[in-house]
Amino acid sequence: MSAYNETITEEDKVSIVSRFLLHAPPGEFNEVFNDVRTLLNDDSLLKERLSGSFSQYNKDQFTPVRIDGADLAVIISEHNDVGRNRFYDPRSKRSFKFDHLRKEASEVQQQEFADARTESWRSAFEAHFANYVDNYYKHGVCSVFAKSDGSQMTIVACIEDHQFQPKNFWNGRWRAQWSLTFSPGQSTAELRGVVKVQVHYYEDGNVQLVSSKEIKEEVSITGEAETARNVIQIVQEAENDYQTGVSENYSTMSETTFKALRRQLPLTRTKIDWGKITGYRIGNELVKTDGR
Amino acid sequence: MQNDQQLDCALDLMRRLPPQQVEKNLSDLIDLVPHLCEELLSSVDQPLKIARDKVSGRDYLLCDYNRDGDSYRSPWSNKYDPALDDGTVPSERLRKLEVEANAAFDQYRDMYFEGGVSSVYLWDLDQGFAGVILIKKTGDGSKKIKGCWDSIHVVEVQEKSGGRNAQYKLTSTAMLWLQTDKVTSGTMNLGGSLTRQAESESPVNEANPHIANIGRMVEDMENKIRNTLNEIYFGKTKDIVNGLRSVTPLPDQKQQAALRNDLAQAIKKRSEKSESRS
Repeated sequence: MSAYNETITEEDKVSIVSRFLLHAPPGEFNEVFNDVRTLLNDDSLLKERLSGSFSQYNKDQFTPVRIDGADLAVIISEHNDVGRNRFYDPRSKRSFKFDHLRKEASEVQQQEFADARTESWRSAFEAHFANYVDNYYKHGVCSVFAKSDGSQMTIVACIEDHQFQPKNFWNGRWRAQWSLTFSPGQSTAELRGVVKVQVHYYEDGNVQLVSSKEIKEEVSITGEAETARNVIQIVQEAENDYQTGVSENYSTMSETTFKALRRQLPLTRTKIDWGKITGYRIGNELVKTDGR
Repeated sequence: MQNDQQLDCALDLMRRLPPQQVEKNLSDLIDLVPHLCEELLSSVDQPLKIARDKVSGRDYLLCDYNRDGDSYRSPWSNKYDPALDDGTVPSERLRKLEVEANAAFDQYRDMYFEGGVSSVYLWDLDQGFAGVILIKKTGDGSKKIKGCWDSIHVVEVQEKSGGRNAQYKLTSTAMLWLQTDKVTSGTMNLGGSLTRQAESESPVNEANPHIANIGRMVEDMENKIRNTLNEIYFGKTKDIVNGLRSVTPLPDQKQQAALRNDLAQAIKKRSEKSESRS
């Protein structure tokens, strides 16, 4: 195939490798990184042009990290990226440097970013989300971020739970992001959520579940604690609906779709008599020849 | 050496990237390492494509094994499309076997899949022959779920003791694609492939021709893979999802886990103590 012999530009190489890195299944970034490093065979190009993809991956995946001086892990996301590979943990009021390949924090500093107005809302949401995550996630981590723009403020809650079991050839991750933009005093606002689940099973194969759902619900805005309670009520119900829907799909796929694709045994309920199958055919052909 | 290492990495990468985009991933990969093009095309399985034989009007399946340049050979007419004057075709003896194999596996397909398309391609080897049995079945999309099954069985046949015995080496890949987009569950895409291998030695005679020997192996293998697909797709991946989040509150589970952890620590400390004593 002649088309394949043409060499591609450095620009194209960078964009292909970037896409591969960003599509690494949960828990397999290092393996994908090692693969593309050997394939690209150009470490300086990798370092100079693709380090942005390393950080993009960790932010997309809601990579949790533990930092010195904080009891709970913090999520790496676009919302707490303060530049130069530093991130901010609003819960412990610390900022830190993040190594996107080792996935480790260093140079932890006490730092206050939030203004008092958003902080009362943020911390109320954080308390309710933390409690919710404890109740519904088996190894869940959550971080709640706030930003303001004029009179408006936005609260973003990120939730992450994963299980990596490479020894058993599987990895899985659940992510959810819930955001609310409002001005205090406004009576209602739109809560926007996106839930994403990815599972990879790879013993003698490559099977993946990739699922996501976007949610929009109206929530009434009152005081900090009450609004947070309203939000959590909606989040819990919406995530339950989604998870139940996914489980129902599993049942339908297994009971209906899969069965209709291939039978366990032929209608005769016995395996094929291969002596007969070839024999029948020859018989049929003789009949056909006779008929002509 | 460099090439071998790169091929290993390329294949490892294809085992990790989402199989739902296998075609895009493979073409990007070939762009990145064009010198591995032929090896990648022959070792990475892709969802099968269907074409119609203009001579017989029957559908057949496309894969790397019936490809010559940019043309594909139909198992029904033995002709390439777009036409090739010098396209590779099996020897006369093997073509006869190929015609019979296509008829036999067409019946097999009908009995297990009750629809779909099948194609068998054979090619000559120094001491025997090899072949690929392909089956594709697309679901009817009922209950808003799209489904598709692709089977790729590659068999290598070594004829022994003047053709009275043969060694069969089978590598089977089954791909299963399931997809839905609903209000309650959002988009859900569950897909990929499993590969298994088997070997057997069988007598070859009138009662047990090659096709029957291969047929039994393929049938056993596909039945086994079907069971494994059932367990992994609808059991394992579902359990993994429900192992991340619970639909019912679980404060007790965390306490229990903490308790188990404490207990394990205590036991570990005790055994360390007793070890240091002895």
